[in-house]
Amino acid sequence: MIPLTMGTSTRGALSRERDVREAYAAHSGELYGFAVRSLGDSGLAEEAVQETFVRAWRAGDRFDPKIGSLRTWLFAILRNVVIDLGRARAVRPTVAEGGIEPAVEPLDEALRAWQMEEAMRRIGEDHRRVLVETYYRGRPYAEVAAELGVPEGTVKSRVYYGLRALRVVLEEMGYED
Amino acid sequence: MKTRNECREWRELLGAYALGHLEGDERAGLEAHLDGCAGCREELAALAPVARMLPHADPARFGPAPQPPPELGQRISATIAAEKRGMETRRRRRLLGGFAGGGVAAAAVAAVLLLFVFGGDGQGPRQVVRFANLPEGISIDAALEPHAYGTEIHMYVHGVPSGTLCTVWLRGPKGVSYPAGTFRYRWGNDSDAVLSSALDLSRTRAVVVDTGRRTFVAPVSSPVAALDIAHEEEPT
Repeated sequence: MIPLTMGTSTRGALSRERDVREAYAAHSGELYGFAVRSLGDSGLAEEAVQETFVRAWRAGDRFDPKIGSLRTWLFAILRNVVIDLGRARAVRPTVAEGGIEPAVEPLDEALRAWQMEEAMRRIGEDHRRVLVETYYRGRPYAEVAAELGVPEGTVKSRVYYGLRALRVVLEEMGYED
Repeated sequence: MKTRNECREWRELLGAYALGHLEGDERAGLEAHLDGCAGCREELAALAPVARMLPHADPARFGPAPQPPPELGQRISATIAAEKRGMETRRRRRLLGGFAGGGVAAAAVAAVLLLFVFGGDGQGPRQVVRFANLPEGISIDAALEPHAYGTEIHMYVHGVPSGTLCTVWLRGPKGVSYPAGTFRYRWGNDSDAVLSSALDLSRTRAVVVDTGRRTFVAPVSSPVAALDIAHEEEPT
C-alpha cells in the first residue's frame, strides 16, 4: 500500500463529536472519492465513509497525531472498511461456495489509481491537457502543438512542468516513492 | 559547470524523456548533457516515480471528483449520537449491575444504592437510583439529572407485564409529589423512558413509580453516595 503519511494533520483525539464533524469537513471528499473509485457504487461508498467515521470515533482515543496524520489514519480505516464490504459482497449467494478471499492487491491498485487521478485533477488545465494528449492518447507532439497553437517546444516544456506539478501534489497527498 | 540557461533548455525536455517520448538528436543530446550534469540527473530521478505512476490512472476519471451527498455528514453525526446514548445506557446498567451482584445481603435489608455519575449533559452530577426489595423478576432503575427546568428522569423498568402503564412522580421535601409523566413498558424494548419533572433534583427526596398494581418508592436522600432503606408502598 502506498503510505499516506503527510497531508492535513489534526491534533488531539477524535473522541468528541465535534472533532468528528471537523474531520468530516476536512477529509470526507477525498475518502468518498476513493470509496467510489474502489467500490464502484455511490451507495456502498456512502456506507463505507459513514462506517469509517463511526469506527474512527469509537477508536478516537487511540489516534495519536505523533504517529501519523488524521488523514492517514482515516484512510487506513477506510481501507479496512472497503475490505470488509468486499468480503460481505463476496459471500453473497451469487459467488461460488468456499468463500473468496478479497484480494488486497486490487484495493492497493485502486488507491494508487485514485491518488494519481486526484493529483491530475489538482494540477493546471494546460499541464493536464498535454499529458492527456501526449501520454494517454499517444498523439505526436507536433500534432498537439498545432492543435493548441503553440510551438512544439512549449508542449514539451508543459509536459515537464506538468510532471513536476504532479510530483508536488503527490507529495502533498503523502505519496512516497 | 553548466550555465543555468543551458540546463534550463535541457531540463524542459526531461518530461518527454521520462515518458520515453524523446527521439533522435534531441535524445542523444540530452543524454550527453545528463552524463555531465548531476543536477539534471537528480531532476530526472525526481520525475521518474511520477512517470511510473501515470499508467495507474484512468484519464476518463480526470473530471470533477464525485462528492458525498450533503446529508451524509448529518447521518454520521446522528449515528454517533445514537451510539453514544446507547453506550451511556449500557454503562449505567453495568454500574448498577456491578453493585447489585455484590449487594445480595444489602437487598435483603431493602437497601437502595445511590450512585453519582459525572459527565451527563445536565447541570450537575447525575444520580442513579436503584429500587431494591422488588418482587422476583422485576427491576427498576432511575437516573436523575439536574436541569434549569427541574429534573430529567431516565427510567428503566423490567419484568412487569408488557404494556404496563407506569406513572412516575418526584416527591419533594414535604411529601408533595410532582408529576414526571407516564410510559409503557414493552417486552423486548431495551430503551429507557426519558421523563421530566419541575422539581429540582436538589429538593427531590424520592422517586415514585406506579405500575398500576403496585407503587414503588426509592428515596433520594442526600447528594452523596449513600446506603438507605427503601420503602415499599402498597397500591394507592
